[in-house]
Amino acid sequence: MTIWPEPRLLPCGDRAVSVELGDEVNRELNARVLALEYLLQQRHLPGVGETVPSYRALLVYYDPLVIGYEALGATLRELCVRARPEVLPPARTVELPCCYEGELGFELGAAAEKLGLAPAEVARLHASADYYVYFVGFTPGLPYMTGMPERLTIPRLQNPRTKTPPGSVSIGGIQCCIYPIESPGGFWVLGRTPVRLYDPDAPDPILLRAGDHVRFRAVDRAEYDAIAALVEAGRYAPRITGAAA
Amino acid sequence: MSDLVVQDGGPLTTIQDLGRFGHLRVGIPTSGPMDREALLLANRLVGNPDGAAALECTLIGPRVEFADDRLVAVTGADMAPTVNGAPVPAWETVPVKRGDVLRLGPARTGVRAYLAVAGGLETPVVLGSRSTYVRGRLGGLGGRALRKGDRLPLGAAAPVRPRRVRPGHAPVYGGEATVAVILGPQDDRFTAAGIAAFLTGPYEVLPQSDRMGARLKGPFIEHTRGHDIVSDGVPMGGIQVIGEGQPIVLLADRQSAGGYTKIATVCSFHLGRIAQLKPGGRLSFRRVTVAEAHAMLRDSRRALDAAIE
Repeated sequence: MTIWPEPRLLPCGDRAVSVELGDEVNRELNARVLALEYLLQQRHLPGVGETVPSYRALLVYYDPLVIGYEALGATLRELCVRARPEVLPPARTVELPCCYEGELGFELGAAAEKLGLAPAEVARLHASADYYVYFVGFTPGLPYMTGMPERLTIPRLQNPRTKTPPGSVSIGGIQCCIYPIESPGGFWVLGRTPVRLYDPDAPDPILLRAGDHVRFRAVDRAEYDAIAALVEAGRYAPRITGAAA
Repeated sequence: MSDLVVQDGGPLTTIQDLGRFGHLRVGIPTSGPMDREALLLANRLVGNPDGAAALECTLIGPRVEFADDRLVAVTGADMAPTVNGAPVPAWETVPVKRGDVLRLGPARTGVRAYLAVAGGLETPVVLGSRSTYVRGRLGGLGGRALRKGDRLPLGAAAPVRPRRVRPGHAPVYGGEATVAVILGPQDDRFTAAGIAAFLTGPYEVLPQSDRMGARLKGPFIEHTRGHDIVSDGVPMGGIQVIGEGQPIVLLADRQSAGGYTKIATVCSFHLGRIAQLKPGGRLSFRRVTVAEAHAMLRDSRRALDAAIE
């Protein structure tokens, strides 16, 4: 496991620093990043701005006219020592309905052929897993997740699509992702969730957070349409369990 | 309170304040002005707080009509502003009367002009900011660029005396710019020759550049072992080098994270220079240390605070 013995502090211009804890996709490493962010937020340090967690690093924005680089670095190194998964509050689990049928899962058949499995088996395996959200980003609300059964590991598309419909649930490599807005994409689309991961008109536009767990519940087209209508009317809330819910 | 009426929106005129902070961790970009100094000066010229919302006009300006008497100021790119057809100066306070029509034309130098109106634009605050993020349909007016017929509510203006930017304090936009960079976070993924090529330049701004990033073309930057990294956060001004060894400077509407090597980061106080480079304009990078950058930041703040008479 590539976790550095000491954190690497890497300057990102005059107003940000990246605290790199390792160099791979690994839940323990990511939990340390989230723990570091959590401890830093608890500290309410003047001059520290927003933070961006990712797989293995925490990007910290700061105002150098309020806090110097050396002082910030010393605090970050000190917090890294205590940044362990145990300090984090209990994780949430978010249940997302997903329809794997027809046009909504328009690459399920091709992915199943590539994997040497029946399409129904791919859908069943995909919906059986517990997914972990390492971080959210790239586009608003997009979760970077792993947790798939190994049999679903699949190379990314040779030729990425220029447009993927919002809500598309897709897989590539060992990762699973959901596209919150229409985007280019190199993952295989297995299904679609009617739930909005990004809703610019909502008071809180983003559904998923770093550290969340996600479960997919397979629904048929009729239920998908019924939930989509409720979402449209602003009367659907996905099931969220866990202490922070 | 009164409205600003848009008669012609121009190709890309958006409402921007200093930006939307605190949501990068869920992938919502800061947005805000591409040239922060120009927005600040426009606001200060009309007596607004620095964080008031104003118009960012891109390449060709809009035409707007006023519903009451106001002070306005235009900064940034030279779009030859006129009121009712008569030229008015940029970089200073200009009074307009009810019914007056202010027009900004095509940019003669620079790319982005800022139009501040006393009292500020009072469109709805979304997640703490009025800035427009077009790709995410967030902020501004319906999350989009302005168009004909839009009415922008204005706030109450504080009484101020007209002012101007001191002669010699307004930036001159040419075809070339040099910006300070700090190497990293992934400078160890490039060869010495690659870093030398990057710091020698110059690089040309490509037409595909936008509020997400400035795409550049110039000397090949050599990687040590490929351009992919385990995805991490993308800082404002971060310079990604992709497969073809060419850099992209990531700007206000950038993606929050990415999986390409970043050779260096442009210092905050020089980002406006990149925002004002037209396609075909040339850009060179000069390496500084963190300590040097912080000293330069202090100097640039002092210069900005002393810029208005």
